[in-house]
Amino acid sequence: MKKTLCFILLTLTLLNAKAFNAPMQTYMNELSAEAKAANPNFTGFDAKRGEAIFVSKHTGKKGTQMSCTTCHTTNLKNGGQNVNTNKPITALAPSANPARLTDVAEVEKWLRRNFNDVFAREGSALEKGDVLTYIINQ
Amino acid sequence: MKKLLLITALGLNFAFASSVAPSDNAQYQKECASCHFGYQPALLNKASWEKVMGNLSDHFGTDASLGKVESEQILNYLLTNAGSGKITANNSTMQITKSPYFIKEHRKIPAKLIEQKEVSSIANCLACHTTADKGNYSERAIVIPNYGRWE
Ligand code: HEC
Ligand code: HEC
Ligand code: HEC
Repeated sequence: MKKTLCFILLTLTLLNAKAFNAPMQTYMNELSAEAKAANPNFTGFDAKRGEAIFVSKHTGKKGTQMSCTTCHTTNLKNGGQNVNTNKPITALAPSANPARLTDVAEVEKWLRRNFNDVFAREGSALEKGDVLTYIINQ
Repeated sequence: MKKLLLITALGLNFAFASSVAPSDNAQYQKECASCHFGYQPALLNKASWEKVMGNLSDHFGTDASLGKVESEQILNYLLTNAGSGKITANNSTMQITKSPYFIKEHRKIPAKLIEQKEVSSIANCLACHTTADKGNYSERAIVIPNYGRWE
């Protein structure tokens, strides 16, 4: 009996780790609707595509080669460091840092800034949805 | 009498170049201390802060853009608490590190101590001024990485 309870609790925690809170889910649904409007063949966000976006290198705002991993590293459970200022950045993975991906305004603000820094343009709804799906699963 | 003493002490504190009022504004700390240490408002004058806040989407090569409301609130905080002391004199650029007084105070530091990875930029105040977050830049609290105390 105790074991079953433990198991249920564990499963719940694990499931929970991959679920967005209500406001974030609303934001994801908005991105989803936008992605569908841009491409009728869109069927859903994909963590694999998100990972590809996260590790790919681009000529950023400063004209240098950059990727999301330049500041956040490739293991999102670890902290990173802001390449422009050397200030440490705490882990992006919600499993390691539960405060991540919980505040829509914060997420929108940093995605706008960080896409501009890395891609020298803002992210599309598809790109933002994919990358958030990748991060929430870390 | 006590009041007079307090005012005198306060006045002395501000006249003393090695310390500025700490920044105790939660919104400022959240928005302007996420990429670097939160530079106290008294380190720049009004004209400088207006320039800084006027172009956050291209902020020293990075995008630091804010929503209109947050941006106005922060500008208001900065202008209310902007500096007028020695460190802001003859500087209307966006950088504290361009102020003639700042340059004079830091001219004796060997370049290699600034370029080393623990510091990397002279704008990284907290790397050497261990109490910079409290607004205290006094010589007694300076410890340069791989060098030690400056005194
Ligand atoms: C120049 C350094 C830098 C780069 C490059 C960068 N980031 Fe960030 N990122 C930051 C900083 C700084 C923060 C905010 C600091 C903090 O919250 O600890 C942040 C925060 C975030 C957040 C907010 C998470 C939350 O809920 O708190 C997300 C999401 C994010 N970054 C995703 C990305 C993605 C996707 C890319 C690539 C397009 C990227 N970052 C590239 C520096 C960077
Ligand atoms: C996305 C990251 C980021 C955010 C957010 C940010 N800054 Fe900066 N800031 C930088 C970088 C990068 C530099 C250049 C640092 C260097 O030269 O070492 C800088 C430099 C500065 C300087 C000049 C320092 C000097 O004397 O050389 C000031 C002043 C400044 N920032 C104020 C602000 C204010 C005010 C805010 C909030 C509205 C803010 N910053 C938010 C990244 C950021
Ligand atoms: C590489 C280390 C280093 C960095 C980074 C640094 N400083 Fe300094 N600072 C010093 C040293 C050393 C002195 C003392 C110089 C002397 O008296 O010979 C000093 C002196 C000062 C003084 C004068 C203090 C007094 O006693 O009158 C002020 C004010 C000051 N720094 C502010 C700043 C600010 C603001 C920043 C960031 C924008 C900064 N410093 C960055 C090392 C540093």
